[in-house]
Amino acid sequence: MEEKSAAGASPPPPTGAGLELKGLTKQFGEDLAAVDDVNLHIAHGEYVVLLGPSGCGKTTTLRMIGGHEEPTKGDILLDGESLLGLPPDKRPTTTVFQHFALFPHRTVLENVEFGPKMRGIPKEERREKARGALDMVGLRPMADRKPSALSGGQQQRVALARVLVMEPKALLLDEPLGDLDRLLRLRMRVELRALQRQLGLMFIHVTHDQEEALSVGDRIVVMHEGRIEQVADPYTISNLPDNVEVATFMGDNNIFEGTISRRDGDAISVESGEAEIRGLAPGVDTSVGKPAVVSIRASAVQVEQDAAASGPNEILAEIDVVEYLGDLVKLHVSSEGRRLVAKVAGDRYPEFRNTEGSSVRLSWKEEDVRLLRA
Amino acid sequence: MSGSSGPEGRPAGLHVDEIVQAEQVVGEEAALGEKGGAEARGRRGGLTTAAWVTPGALWLLFFVFAPVAMIVLVSFWTRTVSGFDPIWTLENYDFLFSSNVYWDQLWNSFWHSLVIVGLALVLGFPVAYFLAICVTSLRYQIALFIIALAPFWTSYLIRAVAWIPMMGRQGALNTALLELGLISEPLDVLLFSDFAVTVAMLQLYILFMVAPIFFMLAQIDRSSLEAARDLGANAFQSFREVILPQSAPGIVIGSIFVFILTMGEFATVRIIGGGTVSSVGTIVQTQVASVQFPQAAASAVFLVLAMIIGVFVLLRFSNLREEL
Repeated sequence: MEEKSAAGASPPPPTGAGLELKGLTKQFGEDLAAVDDVNLHIAHGEYVVLLGPSGCGKTTTLRMIGGHEEPTKGDILLDGESLLGLPPDKRPTTTVFQHFALFPHRTVLENVEFGPKMRGIPKEERREKARGALDMVGLRPMADRKPSALSGGQQQRVALARVLVMEPKALLLDEPLGDLDRLLRLRMRVELRALQRQLGLMFIHVTHDQEEALSVGDRIVVMHEGRIEQVADPYTISNLPDNVEVATFMGDNNIFEGTISRRDGDAISVESGEAEIRGLAPGVDTSVGKPAVVSIRASAVQVEQDAAASGPNEILAEIDVVEYLGDLVKLHVSSEGRRLVAKVAGDRYPEFRNTEGSSVRLSWKEEDVRLLRA
Repeated sequence: MSGSSGPEGRPAGLHVDEIVQAEQVVGEEAALGEKGGAEARGRRGGLTTAAWVTPGALWLLFFVFAPVAMIVLVSFWTRTVSGFDPIWTLENYDFLFSSNVYWDQLWNSFWHSLVIVGLALVLGFPVAYFLAICVTSLRYQIALFIIALAPFWTSYLIRAVAWIPMMGRQGALNTALLELGLISEPLDVLLFSDFAVTVAMLQLYILFMVAPIFFMLAQIDRSSLEAARDLGANAFQSFREVILPQSAPGIVIGSIFVFILTMGEFATVRIIGGGTVSSVGTIVQTQVASVQFPQAAASAVFLVLAMIIGVFVLLRFSNLREEL
């Protein structure tokens, strides 16, 4: 059942359908571009995550789509029609705000029926709709309570029901899980994902949490300083970062800077200090002597104690911190002043317990070396 | 949590039931904790409770109940040349009920106060709205609020008297109107009239309306206004549905302030109204001035009753206990 609806999300949309951001730019003041020339197409039924550190422009982008911020330049098209100049109440989008923004003086049911009421839907009909939406989030028994009498997770669900009842074309979520504690956040993101599958609705979700983005998104848009750095599915973002910004922000990537010392078809060698890193860079335009930055995932690094580093893709390093995380052990090591990370299976923890200060050999395979765009 | 992946056949989607249940359990535990706490407090005895209640109770006793009780008591005593003797009599009330002037005046003052409440609301709400909602910088908000408070740095009497050179026959306003050629004769209605008293009282008391509304409006979460717009409310609807209900407690408190303060007014009426305007307050004051304390007390009793009725009417517009 899950696969079926998942497949429903992927076929290419008819031309013009979906949301199109064209050269979207928002300038605050003279030379501060919060959002800088963002181009993006989002299909109906797609779950897209805007991911990036705070101040990267992801929330501003979302607010421009929702009509809460006017773009300085560019256009926003939904199914071929521009949304520019339309106030939020005239747009077929609705937003779940970070702090839920419930109306404190209204009951849960009155909060949910607010949208239909504004549309002039008669009382009985809109109450029925609101109860239906509350059923969808499992909160019908709480209909007559005030928001202040609910837990954070319940308030979050009221906020969801309140926008779902509007039957929007696109649901915008601004850090929707930011106010919840960790355990609830983990459960709610699964709920959000399931809900989106069930409704087949376009979700645009803003977060700074990498794991959350990987968990919920069909596609992830990594933003940095107002620009899109990479747009790809979660697997690609996690395993094949395009550039240093993405590799750094996603975390647990080992980044080496150096120069190309050999180029032989797709195969390249990069000299970085004492280390020689060999990898594959099919179709990349580079040549010997040029600067290069490569990235190797922490989980692709193999760690051996009492071994010598003799060839390429092998280096010696000193263990700084051993961090046990249950399913895995994170080894923070340093080599030639570089701080590196390696992840090994959790059952190897006894082997590494109290080994801080000892020397280990790190090695990796050619295919795990990713040449980054400068 | 492994069970939450769910058996087949379950609708794709929410596993909320168990989460809701889990949260309810937490809630119930919290409720149980409160109950346990209440019992513990009970065991510790009423002594702590009494200690907490005493200061407030004493305050109320000395500043509210004792003076009112005194007024009621004196209203049933007998007048003498130099004051009163504690001899029970209904004479003061007999006199009151045989006097149409008093009841007309009470009724007039009641309405006059309500009119001032209405005007203060109409003129004060936009000011509070501007300060709390339109001014987004906290610095400017505080600065402007202090400027609005500035007239209160001078004494109430001076502010009242200041209206005389403003509104008098040869006052600033008449002179300006004459100079502009808008009138050919100085307007007498500007001073020593009902109009003058209303304007002066409005200026003297409007801040009691602005301040509570301002504080309520300032507490409104701006993102709930954005949410209202997002959910299809236009600017007017989001004002009516979100801002107005949330400022209701401020409106009611402000109205009570202005109503109580203007209902018992006599100083402004004397200064600005001259001899031409009177109120219940001036009646009571005249009686006090002529050493008719029991009579003044009886008049005051019905003034207080009228105030209480007014306050109850105003309280019907908002459930203060729940919404504050």
